[in-house]
Amino acid sequence: MLLFSYLLLGGITTGALYALVAIGLVVVNKSTGIINFAQGELFMFCGFLAWMTHVQFGLAYPLAFIAATVGGFLLGIVTDRLAFRALAKTDIVGLVLATVGLAFVLRGTARMIWGGKGDYLSFPPITSPEPVMIGDIMVVPQQMAALAGAIAIMLVFAAFFRFTRIGKIMRATADNAKAATLVGISIQNVYTLAFGAGAAIAGAAAVLAAPLTLLYPDMGFSFFIKGFAAAVLGGLTSLSGAVVGGLLVGVIESMAGGYIDSSMMEVAPFLLIMLVLIICPTGLLSLHKTRDV
Amino acid sequence: MKINLSKTSACWLAAAMIFSPCALAQQQPGLTATSIRIGSFGALTGPGYLYGKLAMNGVEVVFDQVNAAGGINGRKLELVREDDRCDPAGAIGAVQKLIFQEQVFALIGGGCSNATFAARETIEKADVPFLVVSSVHDGITTPPARTIFSTALTSTIESKAQVEFALDTGAKKIAVVSMRDSWGRARYTPLLEELKAKGVKIVADEEMSPDANDATAQVLRLKQADADAVIMVLFPKPAAVFTRDAQKLGFKPLLIGQTGIGDPAAFEDQVGVPGATAKFRTISMVKYTPDDPAVEKWRKLVEAKFPGDRLSVFNLFGIGSAQVLVEALKRAGPDLTREKLVTELANIREFPVDVYGAPITCTVEDHRCNKAPAWLAKEPAGPVKVLSITRVN
Repeated sequence: MLLFSYLLLGGITTGALYALVAIGLVVVNKSTGIINFAQGELFMFCGFLAWMTHVQFGLAYPLAFIAATVGGFLLGIVTDRLAFRALAKTDIVGLVLATVGLAFVLRGTARMIWGGKGDYLSFPPITSPEPVMIGDIMVVPQQMAALAGAIAIMLVFAAFFRFTRIGKIMRATADNAKAATLVGISIQNVYTLAFGAGAAIAGAAAVLAAPLTLLYPDMGFSFFIKGFAAAVLGGLTSLSGAVVGGLLVGVIESMAGGYIDSSMMEVAPFLLIMLVLIICPTGLLSLHKTRDV
Repeated sequence: MKINLSKTSACWLAAAMIFSPCALAQQQPGLTATSIRIGSFGALTGPGYLYGKLAMNGVEVVFDQVNAAGGINGRKLELVREDDRCDPAGAIGAVQKLIFQEQVFALIGGGCSNATFAARETIEKADVPFLVVSSVHDGITTPPARTIFSTALTSTIESKAQVEFALDTGAKKIAVVSMRDSWGRARYTPLLEELKAKGVKIVADEEMSPDANDATAQVLRLKQADADAVIMVLFPKPAAVFTRDAQKLGFKPLLIGQTGIGDPAAFEDQVGVPGATAKFRTISMVKYTPDDPAVEKWRKLVEAKFPGDRLSVFNLFGIGSAQVLVEALKRAGPDLTREKLVTELANIREFPVDVYGAPITCTVEDHRCNKAPAWLAKEPAGPVKVLSITRVN
């Protein structure tokens, strides 16, 4: 039981971070219909912004959080204006390739700025690194902080899409872009907002993940691939699906490592995804319902 | 006045012109009467820059010293750097550029193992002398390539040293946690062979990915196996994650690293949990830490040449390797050729270098010239100390 609880807790924490990356992907995909292949690199870049704020400039952790999320939002908007808007009228393949290009640009830029500052940069823990006992279960405050932060961010964004006017506009555009245009919604502005929001979520995820991992310019891809897997598992268009997918990927990874073999950690989540997609091709919680004809 | 040259005289004159030092210099790429052009490749950017850029900085400081003293037989050393980005394709491109475009006389460098291993064939075909500074992949020097020598430890040498160290410390239950990518495999396979050769049956054998963010599963499995020593075949990132999680779950075995985690001070920072690295021991290619008074001279030179840098063990890798290359170039004499340099590299015996654990010996049969890993440890918040040196046969 003790082994199970440790594995579950570790899996949920890692899974919550995957879920945040997945949410960023879903937000962009819902609004624009494309997969942002630069989501992992946005995550990495924002992590370094947080590191600069907190470690290099010595500012408080909440300020690092603000710097990463606001920095991410601005980065998303700027890249949309510079790279994506010009391609908006071309086919979707051009836009997707532009996101791949952006990923390389961000990675190269990070290598130039932070690549020579250390092998891997560490981000100090925001809570005590010492574990505490809750009953028989050993809990690490840093993991709990990351988990709580991830849940809070998920709730904030869920509320944003459900209750705010901008959120409703984004949802309306995602549901039917033509109808949204007819009622006077600027699709271009919605796309810009979507890229900004997606990048801001990546920033928030990076600040939470940074104390649990180490920062280096090539870290983005592995987070992207796990986040993408989580988004696919959840259905690619569902925010709650992204959360469920992320948590499942994290927990399965951890359980497979603990109960089967550590070599199964990387493989097991993808085996499950293949199985789910065979049974349910649109993902667990896809919004694209099939209709009987 | 009419000058008649007999056929014999003309032949002698032609031969003299062809074989004069000046003519030889012109025939050898990268060699003039006043300079020797040496190429260096390795990562100048990205996480691998420690093994590339910093090692090259060490090489350049040695070259500056030699040049300030008049050069080698009147020739100044000139270093040309190329970034391989720690990437096999990048290394092949960098080596081709250095050999065919920059026309270097010889090569010194090689940071990331897989990248250097990928470049081996190109260097071998071009028949260019090459001295490896940091790359540890066995395949770079085994089987020996005629022109390639290494002052870096190799993965087999490190694996043997890890097993010997674990047994010397009295470990009874040895476990392994490793990456199984090409870098990890290059160490993992000889490690298992060495354990088998010593009759050691490991109590657990766990895997981690280079990008792992959680090692709870691995730590719990090792803890269940009651391992008292864990040999880590990991990069710093997964090693830091493993060490953090081990501390978190109250698992405190002897942690045995290798040159991939060769800087205990940096590793302590990366782990970031007080006391978690108290039982961490690792291998260094050099016998001194950057704070050791014995390398004070090199600290001053590196920090003067590269303002803002602090002397690191990676600078020392380059310094040691460059000293060996300089010695071979000196021994090759004024009529320098690539062939003579290769011959002299193969004849270096018990050559004392400022930084390595033991004198350097290369032979025609064995191009692995450094077989003396140094063991490092760092007490929490204390200085890095050299514990011992293992001489591997």
